[in-house]
Amino acid sequence: MDFELTDEQELVRSTVREFADAELAPAAAEVDRDHRFPEEVIPKMAGLSLMGMPWPEDVGGAGADYLSYIIALEEVSRACATTAVIMTAHTTLATSPIYKFGNQAQKDKYLFDMASGRRLGAFALTEPAAGTDAAAGTTTAVLDGDSYVLNGSKIFISNAPYAEIYIVFAKTDPDAPGTRGMSAFIVERDTPGFSVGEAEHKLGIRGSSTPPLYFANCRIPSEALLGGEGKGFKVAMQTLDGGRIGIGAQALGIAQAALDAAVSYSKERIQFGKPIATLQAIQWMIADMATEIDAARLLVYRAASCIDHGKPYSTEGAMAKLFASETATRVAGKAIQIHGGYGYTEDYPVERHYRDAKITEIYEGTSEVQRMVISRAALR
Amino acid sequence: MKIVVPYKWTCDPEEATARADGTVDWSRARPGVSTYDPVAIELARGLAQATGAELIGVTVGAKGVGAAIASKAVLSRGLDRVVVVEDDSLKDAGRADIAAVLAAVVGHIGDVDLVVTGDSSVDVAAKMVPTTLAGLLGWPAVAEVAAVTGQPGTLRVERAIPGGVQTLEISGPAVLAASADAVTPHVPGMKDLLAAGKKPVEHLDLASLKVPARSAVMTVTGRSRPERKARKGQMIDTKDPAAAAAELVKALRGAGVL
Repeated sequence: MDFELTDEQELVRSTVREFADAELAPAAAEVDRDHRFPEEVIPKMAGLSLMGMPWPEDVGGAGADYLSYIIALEEVSRACATTAVIMTAHTTLATSPIYKFGNQAQKDKYLFDMASGRRLGAFALTEPAAGTDAAAGTTTAVLDGDSYVLNGSKIFISNAPYAEIYIVFAKTDPDAPGTRGMSAFIVERDTPGFSVGEAEHKLGIRGSSTPPLYFANCRIPSEALLGGEGKGFKVAMQTLDGGRIGIGAQALGIAQAALDAAVSYSKERIQFGKPIATLQAIQWMIADMATEIDAARLLVYRAASCIDHGKPYSTEGAMAKLFASETATRVAGKAIQIHGGYGYTEDYPVERHYRDAKITEIYEGTSEVQRMVISRAALR
Repeated sequence: MKIVVPYKWTCDPEEATARADGTVDWSRARPGVSTYDPVAIELARGLAQATGAELIGVTVGAKGVGAAIASKAVLSRGLDRVVVVEDDSLKDAGRADIAAVLAAVVGHIGDVDLVVTGDSSVDVAAKMVPTTLAGLLGWPAVAEVAAVTGQPGTLRVERAIPGGVQTLEISGPAVLAASADAVTPHVPGMKDLLAAGKKPVEHLDLASLKVPARSAVMTVTGRSRPERKARKGQMIDTKDPAAAAAELVKALRGAGVL
């Protein structure tokens, strides 16, 4: 068992950290405070091939292994969790299904621009009444000649106002039992009948705009069908399997940022005539935080490594997301505790880390869904 | 045209801790490219891109400087190839020794038009290597270089000097030390990182370079810290600023400071 990263993986970490510290961290508090989508960083990230790391160079990506992508995502998240969700929603949720399920014509049309970060993508599965129960969606796609006509709505769609390409799930056979009637489609932004609603006001990752989408007799060509009719649930679940590892990495970055802040503050804050880092109560919290983060990191990296080695990763990804996300919330909570009253103010970053952490327990499969996936595998 | 950029693979003192006895514990520090060397690489890269010059990184030092990750780290920043002299006899080598080995490597590479170094190394910060190297090569040395343009034989160099900029024209080879903030190094792209391992790395045997033996030996024989003086804890609590200033001046004169 080898716990050593390759030279390239180490360099990805140090290089992305250099970029994130210089370009992302300085604006992170402002992006959060003003609920501002940091669109100016996307061309910069695209220039470094950070918007398509795991895809081969010939389709516009960087040709990196999945673990390198996960390390990069962790470092981006450590500086700005909002930017991390933009990156992972684009890479893992929007580009991945085209790379994995797209036919050659679809790849030719979309993949290079998306993998190179020239055109931003979004993934539209969740509906107002269909969150964890994704198959309960009511958006429909009816075949009419050589077109599908979409009607319905989606909600909580990351990147939506700035995306140009959307992976949209809709029922092509509403009468089919369970998940069989769902299909996936590629929808372009300017399609008549398609519109983007007002952004939600969220607890955390406030710079990541997540509005609803509306489809009113939205006509798209039949060639926009992705992965075949009735295959939508498979496309969604396989995409989310990979996406969960990305959310684990995002959680890991948030947790590390919270620990870094807590360590720094505890060395500077003087109480009873000495830095609070010399107090056992603080030391024990720091020890627990560091240990949990390390355990989370091993789980997240192991899951990414499974992808790189062509091994199944559904359960491993669920474990990684479950543990890393709950760790992030716990660690950020302790970071606030170490900061005391100051930690409860916007003068210090830990309250933002706490708010940012919470969503990682919810999106791309709640902790309860991850436990369901894990228990199914354990009880098989 | 060939441009050589010496670089150092070493630990940042900010990651080291001082023990109670005054010695430094480097065990938790991770090696990396010395802070100002990416500035030198970036400055040289700009000239290389404008002139089509070959950009060659050179590092000399003890075991570790030739690690693959060290070469990849600098190659990803735009160097065409690197030359490494890795020998444990260089473990505690002084600036003159390092400059002598670098001069020998420059001779080995041959037809070098320009050497661009960083402002100083992050761990020693003596700023001696560029001038010593230039002396050994018989070339002019220019420090605090903010910009360089032109062609071999007609280089135009701008130096940041107090109150302004000095412009120099240099005919022939030279050693330039980039100022710490001459340019902002670009962040390598992910493709640059992944391609760095495919670029050539030449490992040279120190003995084969036939570096002239040094004529003098300097050894650090001791270290000491000035004794900490007890603080007097003298407070000035006068609210009138003029009176407070007068009291401060009086106290400083009394202490023999003024």
